Amino acid sequence: MAAEAPGVPITPANRLWTGERLLVALVLAYVLFTTFWPLARLFSAGLQSGEDGAFLGVMRETLANRATGRALWNSLITSGLSALISAVLGVALALALSLLRLRTQAVLVFLILTPLIVPSQTMALAWIELFGSGSPVLGPLGLAPAPGTANPLYSAGGIALVMGVEHMPLVFIATRAALRSVPADLVEAARILGIPNRRIGTGIILPIALPSVLAGSLLAFTAAIGNFGVPALLGIPGRVSVLTTLIYQRLNGFGASAAGQVAVLAILMTAIAAAALVLRHVTMRRLSAPLPAGKPFEATRRAPVIEVLIWALVLLIAIAPLLALTMTALLPAIGVRFGLDTVSLAQFARVLGNDAVRRAFVNSLFLAGLCALISMVVSVPLAYLVVRRPNWLVRAIDVLVEAPWVVPGTVVALAMILAFLKPLPLIGVSLYGTMAILVVAYLARFLPLVLRPVTAAAQTADPALDEAGRIVGAGLWRRLAWIFLPHVLPAAIAGAILVLMTALNELTLSALLWSSGNETIGVMVFALQYEGNSTAAAAVAMLSAVMVFAICGLASACARWLPDNVLPWRR
Amino acid sequence: MLFRRAILSAAFLAGAILAANAETITVYTSQPQDQMAAVIAAFNKDYPDIKVELFRSGTTEVMAKLQAEQVAGKSPADVVLIADTVAMTQLKNDGRLYALNDLPTEGIAPEVIDKDKTYFGTKLITTGIVYNTNLVKTPPRSWNDLLVPDVAKRLIMPSPLYSGAAVIHLGTMLQQPEFGWTYFKTLADNGAVAGQGNGTVIEAVARGEKAYGIIIEYMALNAKAKGSPVDFVFPKEGVSTITQPVAILKGTDALEAAKTFVKWQLSRTAQEQAASQGYFPVLEGVAPPAGYPKPSTLKVLPADSNAMLRDDKKNKETFADLYGG
Repeated sequence: MAAEAPGVPITPANRLWTGERLLVALVLAYVLFTTFWPLARLFSAGLQSGEDGAFLGVMRETLANRATGRALWNSLITSGLSALISAVLGVALALALSLLRLRTQAVLVFLILTPLIVPSQTMALAWIELFGSGSPVLGPLGLAPAPGTANPLYSAGGIALVMGVEHMPLVFIATRAALRSVPADLVEAARILGIPNRRIGTGIILPIALPSVLAGSLLAFTAAIGNFGVPALLGIPGRVSVLTTLIYQRLNGFGASAAGQVAVLAILMTAIAAAALVLRHVTMRRLSAPLPAGKPFEATRRAPVIEVLIWALVLLIAIAPLLALTMTALLPAIGVRFGLDTVSLAQFARVLGNDAVRRAFVNSLFLAGLCALISMVVSVPLAYLVVRRPNWLVRAIDVLVEAPWVVPGTVVALAMILAFLKPLPLIGVSLYGTMAILVVAYLARFLPLVLRPVTAAAQTADPALDEAGRIVGAGLWRRLAWIFLPHVLPAAIAGAILVLMTALNELTLSALLWSSGNETIGVMVFALQYEGNSTAAAAVAMLSAVMVFAICGLASACARWLPDNVLPWRR
Repeated sequence: MLFRRAILSAAFLAGAILAANAETITVYTSQPQDQMAAVIAAFNKDYPDIKVELFRSGTTEVMAKLQAEQVAGKSPADVVLIADTVAMTQLKNDGRLYALNDLPTEGIAPEVIDKDKTYFGTKLITTGIVYNTNLVKTPPRSWNDLLVPDVAKRLIMPSPLYSGAAVIHLGTMLQQPEFGWTYFKTLADNGAVAGQGNGTVIEAVARGEKAYGIIIEYMALNAKAKGSPVDFVFPKEGVSTITQPVAILKGTDALEAAKTFVKWQLSRTAQEQAASQGYFPVLEGVAPPAGYPKPSTLKVLPADSNAMLRDDKKNKETFADLYGG
C-alpha cells in the first residue's frame, strides 16, 4: 500500500516498479525464512569439519560408519524393489483400464488410487493386521501364517511390497495419461493395415507409453526413498533400517548432538532423490515423441474374465488391508479372536475419550487448514511474478520453493530443527518445541502443491488483460485482486484441497518436530502402535481414513466448480 | 481504532497466556498414553485448576528431547515421570532436578525415595515373563527355563536402547553372579531377539508371533484382563524392579503446581488409581491389583543403581553387539 500513499508524486511507471519490488521482497522474505535458511543450515551442518578439524570430517566419519552403509543399501534395495512392484502393478492396471471396456470403471479408478489417499502409516498398520498370524481376514480362510512365526512383512521384502502398492498410483496415473494420448487414428490405421493386436500393443502403444511409465516409476522410487511411515512400522521391528528411520532413531537416541551425522544422511537422501528426478527429466525429454492431435483412442473390447481378475487384485490391495484394520479396531485387545461376541465400539470410545487423541485431531485440522490457507495467499502473487514478471531472482525463488517437496520429509524436518532450535535473533524465542515449528515446516513442504496448479492456470491466462489494466491505470494490487486472482482462484482452491488431504495425515515432519500439546494424527497412530496398543492405533487410523475420504467426497461434490484434472481420481 | 483494538487484543492474549502458564504444567513421561489420560482426569478431579500437558515417548526419547530443548534455551517440561532411576540419576547428577525437602512421605516405602529428595518412586513395576497361552502349555517358572533352545528361539525382550525398564532389568540381571553376560549371550545364541520397548514385546506375544517375552508385569496382566491370550509369571529366582520416579525440573515456571502434582502422585487417591491400572502401589495400606501377589511376598533381585549408572554405556553397547541395535 506504501506505493499509493497520498501526497507523494509518483508516476505510473514508478508506482508499478515500487509495488512490484515490495512484492518480490515479501515473497523473498517468506521463502528465505521457511525454506532457504533451514536448508542452508542443514547442508552446512553436514559439510562441517570433524572433531579433529579434518576437511568434511563429519561427512567422512558418517559415510564410513557401518550403520550408514547398511541403511543406504537397504534404502536403495527396498526402494528399487518397490518401484518395480509399483511399475508392474501400475502398468498392468492402467493397460487394462485404458484398453478394455470395463464396467464400474469410475469405482475401480477410485479404489486403485486409495493407496495414495490413505496415509502411509495407516496403510502399513493395515497390512500388518492383514498378514499377521492373527489376521482377522486371512485367519478364517486358513491362509494366515502359522502361530509362533513373525509377521512376514517385517522384512525388506515386506517394506518393498507395501511401499510398492502404496506408490503404485503414481505409475498408474502417469501411464494412464500417456495411454489416453494415443490417437485413435493411429490404432485404426494399424488395424486397416492388418497388423495383429499384439503387435499394435508392443509396436505402437507401448513405445508411446514407455517414457511415462519410466517417469512414473522414478517418481515412485523417489517417494519410496523418502517414505518414513512404512519402514518405521515394518522395518524397526524387523531390524531393517533405512535412511529415514536411521535418522529418526539417531535423533531420538542421541538428541541434537547427532545433528551433524544425521545431516550427512539427509544430504545422502537428497542426492539419491535428486538423481532420480534428473533421470526422470531426461527420460521425458529424450524419449517422448510428439504425437499428432486427434480423437483419443477409445476402448471397445469387453473382457469379463480380466474384469474379475482386476476386481480381485483391487480388493486385495485396496479393500482387504482396510478391512483388516477396521476389524482390529473393533477388538478389545490384540490377539483376541474376531467374533460376534468379542467385537465392540469400545476402542473408538476409548480413543475419543483420550484428550491427546482429540487434541491431535484438532491440531492436524488446524495445521492443515492454516497451511492450505497461507499457501493460497502466497501462491497467487508468487505465480503472478513467475508468469508475468520473471527475472533471475523470481526464477530462483520459483526453483527454490520446490526443494522442500522434492527432498524427503525427514530432510526438511531436520533442517527445521537445525534452523529453529536456538532462539531466533532479535526476538530471543526458540520455535523448537512449539506449534510454530510445525507450521513453518508444513508451509515449506506443502507450498508447491498449491503453487504448481496456480502457476499452470496463470500461464493459460491472457496477458493482454493485465496490460489493459495497467493502461487504464490500475495499480499492481488492484490488478492482482481483480484481474489475476479470479482467473487462478479455482486452481488455488484445488491446490488447497490437496494440501488439506496430504497435511492431515502428515507423519514424517511431525514425528521429529512434535512436542507436548502439539501432537498430530500421524504421530498418535505411530505412538500408540509403538507403545503396544495396536487396537487403539487402528481405531485412530480408521477415524483419520474416514476423515480423508470425507474430504475426497466433499471435493468431488464441489468438482463442477473446479477446473478439470484437479482431483486425481477424476482424471 | 483498528490499531488500538489490535493492541488491546494482543495484550489480552498475552495476559491469557501468562495466566494459563501459572496453572499449566507439562509432564514428560514414558507411561502409556491412555493410562496418563486417566491419571490426569483423576488429578483434575482433585485439582481442577491445574492443567496438565503431556509429552509421551520411550525413556531414551524423552531424555533426548530434554537435551535438545536445553540447547534450544528452555524446556517446556516441568515434571518428569519416567520408568528408570538410571536416567533420573543422570538428570540429578547434571544438577537439573529440584530438591523437595518438605514433601510429606510417611507410609511411602523408603527405598523408592532418593536420599537427596530429588525424585520419588511412584509405583513398583517388576519385570518377569509373559507367554502366549495358545502356544505354551507348560508355563516357564524360572529365568533359566528361557535358556532352552526351543524356548529361546521363540523369545522376545525389550531393548535397553529404547526402554528404561529394560535398562534396569539388564543391569540387575548382570549384577547377579548366576546370570551375568553368559545368560544374555546364551539367550542370543539360542535365537532370542530384542524388540524396542515393552510395547513391542506384548504386541508380538499377544499376536502369537512370539511365544515368550520378558516384560513388565502390568502390560502383560492388563492385556490378559482385556482378553489377549497371554499370562504372566514371576520367576522363582526373583524379579527386577523399577519405581517409576517422578521429579521436578529446576527452572520450572510453575513450581507450586508441579509440587502439587508430585505430592498428589504419592497420595492415597493416586496410589489406589495406580493399583487400578495394574501397578504395585508404594504407599503402605493400599492393596495391590487383584490377582497380584502381596508386595511383601515378592522376591526382588538385589541391585546397585550407582554401579548400574557407571556401567550404563558399556552395558548398552555390549547388548547392541549381541542383539543388534
